[in-house]
Amino acid sequence: MATRKLGFVIRSLPYKTEASRLALTHAISSQTVEIYLEDGDLVEPVVCYIGDGVLNCLKGQQAAKHYGVTSIEQHARNSLLLDLNVMICKEDLDKRGIPDNALVLDAEDIGGETAAKVVPYSEIQKVMESVDHLLFC
Amino acid sequence: MKLGVFVSDFRSGSDVLDRLTAEKLGIIFVGNGVYHATVKEEGKSCPVLDKQAHFYVLTEDLESRGFTAAQVDSRVKAVTYSDVVDLIFNDYEKAIWI
Repeated sequence: MATRKLGFVIRSLPYKTEASRLALTHAISSQTVEIYLEDGDLVEPVVCYIGDGVLNCLKGQQAAKHYGVTSIEQHARNSLLLDLNVMICKEDLDKRGIPDNALVLDAEDIGGETAAKVVPYSEIQKVMESVDHLLFC
Repeated sequence: MKLGVFVSDFRSGSDVLDRLTAEKLGIIFVGNGVYHATVKEEGKSCPVLDKQAHFYVLTEDLESRGFTAAQVDSRVKAVTYSDVVDLIFNDYEKAIWI
């Protein structure tokens, strides 16, 4: 019985490329791989936002209205709804002057019980060291 | 010349932008270029905004990324797609995309 930890580190801005969206999609879908594993084996994804990637977490994204696509904000809410461990780099938020209340930190409005955590970069570094597989995007 | 420049990136293109000169220069932030008009790093506005130019930001791209026109730097005017079309046809002879 083992747990495979997967780290998804999002450093890209949203929308111009699919990088951040795909990271979230893969993080969310990674749990489904358990159907191919032995009984008791688990997959545990962690999503971390660093650098410009923290701008994916802004609330109020109107991508559905203007682009006709699901917003990254909604993807972020879905990741919290599915109890993913989500971390946002505090230093990178501070550098850009982004307050916590501008961020998607929970998905309570759609029944989510897990909250994203604003953490120092050192915490994210620990995650990167602890995971079995690491994906930067 | 009267030159309209579309800027769609946040981290690249500023080296080109720094050297561009025109009798009338318009810089239109679209796509991820909108962060130039909204994000203050270390409390400072984007250096691009210090350039002698007219600045515009596309409202649709702004709102898609979670910002409102109220959060835009005072030197930048929020415009719609229709406004951008008018700018290209009425205010600038040439348009480039960087």
